[in-house]
Amino acid sequence: MLEPGIELRAESRVRARIAVLLDTSRSMRFPASPGGPSRAEELVRWVQAHKADLEKLASRFQVDFYGFDKELQPADAGRIAAARDARAMGESLAQGPATDILAALTGAAAAGTAGRPLAGFFLASDGADNAELAEGISGPAGTELHKLAAPVFALPIGAQAVKDLAVEKIAVDDFAFVRNQVTVDVTLTARGFGSTDVPVVLKREGQVVAQKTVHVEGDQARYEVKLSFVPDRTGKFAFTVSVPVYQGEALAQNNQRSFVLKVIRDRVRVLLVVGRPSWDVRFLRQLLKRDPNVDLISFFILRTPGDDPHSSQDELSLIPFPTQEIFQEQLKTFDLVIFQNFNHRPYRMSQYLDGIAAYVRDGGAFAMIGGDQSFSAGDYAGTAIEDVLPVTLLPTGPTAVDETPVQLKLTDSGRRHPLVELAAGTAQNEQAWVRLPKLPGLNTTGPMKGGAQTLLQSSEGRPVLVVGEAGRGRVLALLTDSSWYWSFVAAGQELGPRAYETFWHSAIRWLVRDPALTPMRVTAERPSFEPGTEPPSLDVQVRGSDYGAAAGAQVTTVVSSAEDPVPRPGGSATAGADGSARIMLPPLAPGAYKVTATAKRDGVQVGEAEEAFVVAPTAREMIEAAPRPDLLRAIATATQGRVVEADDPLLSLPWRDPQRVEVGQRTSKPLWDNWKVLAALCLVVGVEWTLRRRWGYA
Amino acid sequence: MLSRRRLLGLPLLLAARRALAFGDQARLTFAQVRHLGRWDPRPDGLSRLAWEISKRTSIETSPLVKPIGLADPDLFRFPFAVLSSDQSFPLPADAEIASLRRYLSYGGFLLIDDASATRGGAFEQSARALVARIVNGASLSRVARDHVLYKSFYLLDGPAGRLLSTSDLEGLELGGRVAVLYSGNDLIGALARDSLGTWEFEVSPGGELQREKSIRLGVNIAMYALCLDYKEDQVHIPFIMKRRRI
Repeated sequence: MLEPGIELRAESRVRARIAVLLDTSRSMRFPASPGGPSRAEELVRWVQAHKADLEKLASRFQVDFYGFDKELQPADAGRIAAARDARAMGESLAQGPATDILAALTGAAAAGTAGRPLAGFFLASDGADNAELAEGISGPAGTELHKLAAPVFALPIGAQAVKDLAVEKIAVDDFAFVRNQVTVDVTLTARGFGSTDVPVVLKREGQVVAQKTVHVEGDQARYEVKLSFVPDRTGKFAFTVSVPVYQGEALAQNNQRSFVLKVIRDRVRVLLVVGRPSWDVRFLRQLLKRDPNVDLISFFILRTPGDDPHSSQDELSLIPFPTQEIFQEQLKTFDLVIFQNFNHRPYRMSQYLDGIAAYVRDGGAFAMIGGDQSFSAGDYAGTAIEDVLPVTLLPTGPTAVDETPVQLKLTDSGRRHPLVELAAGTAQNEQAWVRLPKLPGLNTTGPMKGGAQTLLQSSEGRPVLVVGEAGRGRVLALLTDSSWYWSFVAAGQELGPRAYETFWHSAIRWLVRDPALTPMRVTAERPSFEPGTEPPSLDVQVRGSDYGAAAGAQVTTVVSSAEDPVPRPGGSATAGADGSARIMLPPLAPGAYKVTATAKRDGVQVGEAEEAFVVAPTAREMIEAAPRPDLLRAIATATQGRVVEADDPLLSLPWRDPQRVEVGQRTSKPLWDNWKVLAALCLVVGVEWTLRRRWGYA
Repeated sequence: MLSRRRLLGLPLLLAARRALAFGDQARLTFAQVRHLGRWDPRPDGLSRLAWEISKRTSIETSPLVKPIGLADPDLFRFPFAVLSSDQSFPLPADAEIASLRRYLSYGGFLLIDDASATRGGAFEQSARALVARIVNGASLSRVARDHVLYKSFYLLDGPAGRLLSTSDLEGLELGGRVAVLYSGNDLIGALARDSLGTWEFEVSPGGELQREKSIRLGVNIAMYALCLDYKEDQVHIPFIMKRRRI
């Protein structure tokens, strides 16, 4: 009051801000409608169609354009609107690895310039959120949306293609045990479906191994399915879980998912069939029974039709020889079948020999151990068993066995083969074999078969141990019934049984293709490759039949898939000095693949190996990519906005009016500082005093 | 010179040799342990057992019994050894004990048969002392009636022999198997025949039925030595249980 003044203020109303959020995540690359343009292209076309509308909006509001995916970044609407090729522009925009709508909204709200109030958000997206809002609007997410204090107007992109069935998730261990049940947990999502029975199929490289039907109802989006199967052989396999692609689905790509499963042995299952008890049988059984890695099933012929036990059957512990059960029903459950001094004839087994040979060619392992009922003496000449053996056989006769004592000697092949490695170092290994007791005799056979390798022989060149391959299986012929000499008789010579144990353990490992004894290995850099971003690469290790590094070997690959079983050429490379090579395969479409690598040196095949891998997107962005207009609607509702149609004019939307005015300039002028005002004030006060005196009020 | 054993074995040799084999080493050949006592009280018994085994089962046997000392390196070519006598015998030397210990540890089988069939007799005491030397402080223990020995070929309910002095077999386990088996009933004596082919000894108290049981026990012991616990494999169990109930 004592210092009156005048304040001069310059006021203006502030233009509110509108954040336009354009979804630039990779899911926008998927079609907006079945067979239609991509969602990103549709978005670009919307910007182009609303160019004038946006300009009008900008005259009333400050319009900030953002692209968003996992992150928020400014967008150049002018460049988008000016694009001649909407499709290409869409492709270039939709690069984001994930979609986080809530982060985009909160980020845009916080990025306001000079504290301009928000009139609202315009959100153009497919709604395929895979972050905070992936499961819908939770409590904390709802609070965040409420804090925005601005309406969200949502334009659903791709809403026409809301129907989608997807194999969303597969849960399975990286490895499984052969002949043990494996359960694959599958999560399906189904949107836009009515009451439908959906078959869910699990295939191993094109072959159905499990199947279940899931009843899909409209009000449930997620379904859990358990698919179980029992792997019957070891190796690395590509599996695919698939559901049918129904008409009108938004995405066909997510109707199947592939994975690689390594099937290993918990124990090597060995079938030992023995013609008669003997010391050779006894020591082998003892070894196998003691080995915790071996599951031994054995059948010994304890009594032949010519034997007279002087008793009734009930006084004996003998059981019938279950040939049909073993050689027909159970055969494939064995990793290795051993015939030890066993003649098939008395047991009418001719009918099963073809099956045994087929089992071997299909990847099984077979060993025949000598004796007076084995090889030629076992009447196998001309049978299917001879076909898979690494040796040819002679007709049964007195020359079927040779009782000349045998001094063992490693062959050239044997010097390098891990199966007969008793000691490290060639000289020590040769000495270890030479020191073993002489064997009392050998089975005689015809010539070796092509591809067979004699690893041990007598000093005069009679084969003792011959190995080979038959189809995908491995075979071993041990032409003696006295390998137990390497254990017990050797123990008597202060050598100990180590040679026997080492030999048989190595033989079994080699027969069942223990990876450590495989001359060639091919390994995918990863079990799963991202499509389009990286070509699958393979590491190959090549060793020759001598198990030495196959330097200079030419490695070629062929690739096949469940969808395209015809092998296609992959890459090729030359093995280095250490026998290793790296091969880059051409870019492959998503799917499950099997690659076969073959190594040759000087035109001769050195080895072959297989590997399985998948090409599949691993990011949720590309898997859970179905449009979710329901989520966009929920966001709009939670912020008091609404869902808009593509042709709705933007100006007509109920944006929030600006409430604030901004003070541009403020000036205060004290009155006492002006002498005229002071004089006028004094004059007024003086006149007022004079008049009061005159009128008698004072 | 043709010994009595070889002479007795000749006819059996022809009968037993049924097939080609890689010498006698592939067959079951009994080794008779030579000790410093009366080591061969039943010269024909083991050949007879070999013949019975060959006749009744698929096992190929040699009728020729190999007399052998415990320190002989050739002992390890005969994984089935028999030690017998009808009287006490001096303990073998340390080197022989060590060899026997090694023999049993690496898979050999020793049948000790008391030809005197006298419970607590001189032979039994010597045998128990030997077992205690093989594994320091070890002793024989009863072989349970459900042991695979009693079902390795025949289904048997107990031991047998020329006499029934003891109601159980006894054994010493090494590495999860019976490596030493002790029979106190003169098992081999029940099988012995004279040069004319007649039974050498009366079998008491069960007579010929007991003799047959003795043969069967001998067969089972041989089958156990060659097949170990084969008859305890899962596949056999239901059959055996069913027949046991009959």
